[in-house]
This record gives sequence, structure tokens and C-alpha cells, in this order.
Amino acid sequence: MKTVHRMPLVAAAVAVLALAGCSSGGGNAATTGGATASGAAGASTPAGTPVTLTFQSLSDQPATIAATKKVVDSWNAANPDIQVQVVQASWDSINDKLTTQFAGGTAPDIIHDDAASIVSFASDGYLADLTGQMSQAKKDDIGKGLLASVTVDGKVIAYPTEVQSYMVFANKTLLDQAGVMIPTGDSMTWDQFRQIAKATTKNGVAGVGWGLKSPVATFMTLGLGSGGTYFDGTGTSATIHVGDGEMALPKLVHQMAYDDKSILPVTLTQSGSEALAAFYGGKVAMTVQGSYLAASMSKDAPAGFDWVVLPPLAGPDGAAQAADPQTLSVSADSKHVAQAVKFLEYFTSTDNLEAVNEADALIPATTSAQQAMAAKLGSQNGWDQILKSGKDFQSAPFLFVDKYAQWKSTVATPAFQKYLANQIDDAGLANALTSGWKQLG
Amino acid sequence: MLVLPSVLLIVVLSVAPLLAGLALAFTDARLVHTPHYSFVGVENFTKLAANSMFWASFRIGMVWAVSVTLLQLVAAMGLALLLNADLRLRGLARVLALIPWAMPPVVVSIMWRMIYSPNAGPLNALLGSIGLPNDINWLGSFTTALPAVIAVGVWVGMPQTTVTLLAGLQQVPPDTYEAAAIDGAGAWRRFTAVTVPSLRPIITSITSLNFIWNFNSFSLVYVLTEGGPGGQTMLPMLFTYIEAFQNRNIGYAAAMGVVLVVVVVALLGLYLWSQLRAEDKP
Repeated sequence: MKTVHRMPLVAAAVAVLALAGCSSGGGNAATTGGATASGAAGASTPAGTPVTLTFQSLSDQPATIAATKKVVDSWNAANPDIQVQVVQASWDSINDKLTTQFAGGTAPDIIHDDAASIVSFASDGYLADLTGQMSQAKKDDIGKGLLASVTVDGKVIAYPTEVQSYMVFANKTLLDQAGVMIPTGDSMTWDQFRQIAKATTKNGVAGVGWGLKSPVATFMTLGLGSGGTYFDGTGTSATIHVGDGEMALPKLVHQMAYDDKSILPVTLTQSGSEALAAFYGGKVAMTVQGSYLAASMSKDAPAGFDWVVLPPLAGPDGAAQAADPQTLSVSADSKHVAQAVKFLEYFTSTDNLEAVNEADALIPATTSAQQAMAAKLGSQNGWDQILKSGKDFQSAPFLFVDKYAQWKSTVATPAFQKYLANQIDDAGLANALTSGWKQLG
Repeated sequence: MLVLPSVLLIVVLSVAPLLAGLALAFTDARLVHTPHYSFVGVENFTKLAANSMFWASFRIGMVWAVSVTLLQLVAAMGLALLLNADLRLRGLARVLALIPWAMPPVVVSIMWRMIYSPNAGPLNALLGSIGLPNDINWLGSFTTALPAVIAVGVWVGMPQTTVTLLAGLQQVPPDTYEAAAIDGAGAWRRFTAVTVPSLRPIITSITSLNFIWNFNSFSLVYVLTEGGPGGQTMLPMLFTYIEAFQNRNIGYAAAMGVVLVVVVVALLGLYLWSQLRAEDKP
């Protein structure tokens, strides 16, 4: 801000214009880069000339960073001609970063992101088409639902690697004290979850801490449990519908928060990790979190803290969750697409993918790695429950809606936040979501 | 001849991007791999006129910029008067007052996010220790989010306003105060009859500069709340940024930028015009 303060008056007033001006210049530069890149890729690098690939990794848990490094190191040792260099980045504002990297022509060769975000970059032409390069064996191993989530206009644009499911973590001591039976079985219905939350809400403890500061992904993913698909059609012709199926989950959360008072209110405005503090502090009996938290929980939970993972949540339509896998893609501007694909095939081989997912407490995107993981880990740290949730992944309609990201940030996030803060009612939410969509034009 | 290098610099660094941005506002430009821009006339502006979310953010931006600017002026004036008084350790106090200025906005935001933290924040702990409610969700609740962000905005912008006013105060000849005191003017009368009139040009310039900076401020709120909860702190700059770099509609975002510049320039023009008229008629 200090630089802005020092700017001459006029320059400060037009800062935003200058910004826009710069980016348009960047856009043109990227185009030129693209043309040369495709030419170079056609010529291909002569054998024996070592190439270096940059790999922008977003893994943020220490164990995953180590697991990723191990895979990369073993690759580098075996392939002196194709050296991979890891560039560490963060999930925070990664899409803003990728936007500027792409526009400025400085995107890494190998790009780590997730399907919901990468699909729009693919439709804008930033990613290499991997359809003909990914091996058939890999395609079979990945499975139809996940492969569909990284296929845009008939082109495969990424290797799915790790899939997150939303799980309910419970403080076993508090559940026992409230006389609640720990549910078993293949799934736990929303009603069961609500009852447990009610039963554990007493003596200054709330049933659930639910970090819903960024609520859209949660509602999109778990909403499939009540048939909440939100969108019809794909691309630019998609339309939105918000009916009973879509409203069921937001309504459930709202009822729990305001009728049952079984959700600690402050957590509704916090991120998942901030809400975790209340869980560790014994202020809430359960918390809904991405499965990856199991990895840090096994290390970071306070001594003597007895936690369990409850069975996957199931709505009236079952335990389906939207598959929004983490992805590894190759930049369209990369000069070494073929070499990058070779590395990705190696990175996603059964043992490597198992190791990375184990470190992250996520579900591997390939069937073979899931099996390897089940065989290796059994039921420790809630792994059996987490892997169970992986059986019901569905490709989700929202991934293929061109304006989804825009709707999410400008319309859906504030609308859901208002609804969760009891500022608008059911009809108000449905109306905000649909009329906001129409305003995007 | 001598003026040419500086003109060249201004043209390359200021005028050219401004014109490029202006031109962009009349196209359907998107940040894509192989861009095809086409001229769409005023379509972006007609679309914007109907965009209720943009105007809602505009209203929040006005509340933010006006209240931060006014509160900054009042608080900085008090601080400047104190620092101008002949007190012990004045030099040290002057240095301390500059500290917020020395901190990058992102650091300021992270620090204040910790202070406001509803779970373990020092602010709630302090309120609790004197028997007040200690569970206020400062940045997460709809009623407190905007005031809490405004307080940070005032805090971070106070030093330069203070320093500017302090410099102005030191230019006021001491005899005018003595003369006023001999005429029987009390402290408040001396402030309204001597200090404020002598500082008027400085107050005018610092408030108009502050207004521009505050209206265009971005990083502070981006880190503090990202415009949440429910869009309560969605400043127009933040809205424009999201349109440009998350939604990648740079043509549309440039149109937003043009509207913002036009409105800010118009408001400032009006303000400066009224202030200059007031100065002409003492």
C-alpha cells in the first residue's frame, strides 16, 4: 500500500486500469509463447539432451512434501535426461497465481491443481491435450467417474491423483459421555448425524464444529447425497436449478445451527482448520472436515485426545460425494509435453500414488493404489472409513459449467454465507443463487 | 528538449496503460490462451449498470472510504496536536506513531486477524477480563465486520495523515496563538479560529489523497476478510480484482475500473471545487 500511497495522484486513480493494461499485454505475450511452444513440441528435443521440467507442487503437509520429494528424487536418479525440479507453491489463491502465470508466459511445465479449477483453464486453452499420451492401462486404472472429471470437450487434460472426501471426525470421549453409540456400517444418514449432534450438545459443548467460511465446495460435494446437482447441461449452455434436492443440505445445516443449536455458531464463519481448534479444545463433539485432516490429526491432536472417523455421510439418495480430484496437468506452453507425461505416468504408478495419498490421508485416484492402501493400512487412523467414502465418488455437473468459478466466487459464496448467518431464509437463498446466475449474463 | 524524457516516462508508464485499459473496457477481452478480442461498444457498461452486486460493493466502498477518511482526519488531528505540544519524550512518541506506516499491509492484516480472532484473540480476552462479552466474532459477524475493517483502515492510514498535519502545525507562527490568547481566546477557540484556518489547505489535500487511497485500497481487506461475510466488506476494488483475475473477464473488469475512476474523479472535483471556493472567501 505504501507504493500506492507514494504514487502521483493520477497514477493512483488509474491503478486498476494500469493493471488491466498490463494483463492484456501479458495475454499477447502468452500467445506468442504458445505458438513457439507447439512448434518446438513438434520438432521434439533430440535424444540425449537433458531437459528440466518444473513441477509446481501444492502439497502442504510435511509428510506429503517428503513423499513427493522421494518420488521426484527417485525419478531424477533413474532419468538423467529428464530432470524434474519441484517448485513449492500454496493452495491459497493458487488460481489467481496460475492466471497470472499463464498470462505472463511463466507457467510451470507440470501444474498441480484440482479438477474444479483446472477445467476452466482447460477450456480457455492453457493446458496440453493428454488424450493420446496417457496410457490405456492408466485410463482403466483411474476409472470412469474420475477420468470424466478431468475430460473437457472430449480431451483428457490432467492425471487425477488424490481425492478428498468430507468426513465426520468425532471426539470419542464426548460421544461416550453423552451415551451415544458410535455408529458403524457403511454409512451414516444425515438424520443419524443430526441426532448425535443433538445428543452431544450439552454442558457447554456443541455437537458440531463445521468450518463453512467457504461453503460452496462442501454443499456442492455433499449435496449429491440428496440429488443436489445444481446444474443442467455443460459449457456455456448450462442452466441452474435450485430445488428440494439442492436445498436439503443447506436446510439441514441451518436447522442444526438455529433450531437444534447443535453447531457452534462461530465455526460457521471459520475455515476448516480454524474450526479444528474448537474440536481439539473439547468445545465441540464432532467436526466435518476434509479427510486429509486425518493425517495431521494423528500427529497434532493433544495427548490423550481420543478421536474416531465416523462412517461416510449419506443423504436420502445415498453416500455419493462429488469427485473433485487433485490433478496434475501439463501447460500448453511447455516445450516438453511428452517428457512431462512420462514423469506423470511414473508419479501415478501404484506405489508412488499410494505413498503420496497415505501421507496426505486422501483417497488415491487409481483403483490399484486404493487396493494397495487398503491392504497396507487396514483400519488405523480411520482409514477404513475414509476409503469407504471413496466408493461413491460421482463426476459432478458443476465441474463442466463454464461460469461455475465465477458463480462460486461472486454469487454462491456470499449467498450461502448470508443464509448460514440467518440473514436470508430458504426462499431468499434459492432466489439469490438463481438470480445471481442470471446476472452473470 | 529537457522535458522530453519525463514526458516519455509518463506516457509509457501512465498514459499508455490508462489508454489500453480504457480501450479494453470496450472489448469482450478474456484472459485465455489464444485471445480474440472484439469491439463490443458500450455492452460492458450496460451490463454493469444492471449488475446489482457491483453497485452493492460500490455502496460499501463509499461507506468505507468516507468513514475511514473522516475518522483518520479526526484521530490524526488529535495525535498531531499532542505530538506538537511541548511534552517530554516527544521525539520517541513521534517515532512510535510512525510504526503502522512501516508495516506492509499484508502483515498489518494478518496481525489484526489475530487480534480479532474469536477464539483466542487478545481483543476478546481483554473485553472478557473487564466483564464485557468475550465471544464477539469481529470479522465473521454481519454487524461487526465492516466497522472492524474500518478500524484497521484508520489505524494503518493514521501515520501519514498525522505527519502531514504535524508539519502543517509547525508552520503556524506561534505569535498568532499568543495574539489570540491575549484577546482572551480559550484552547477550543484558538483551535477553531487559528489552527483550523491555517491548516485548511493541508486538510484539503490530505483528505482528498486519503479518499483516493482508501477508495482504491485492496490488500488490507483482501487478507482480512476476502470481502466476506456474505459480501459485507466487498470493496469495489476487490470486486474488480475477482472479475479480472478469478473470473478472467478483463474487458468487463476494465469497464468497472473506468467507472470507478470516473466516479472518484467527479467526487474529488466537487470536493476540491467547494474547498477552493471556501478558501477564496475567508
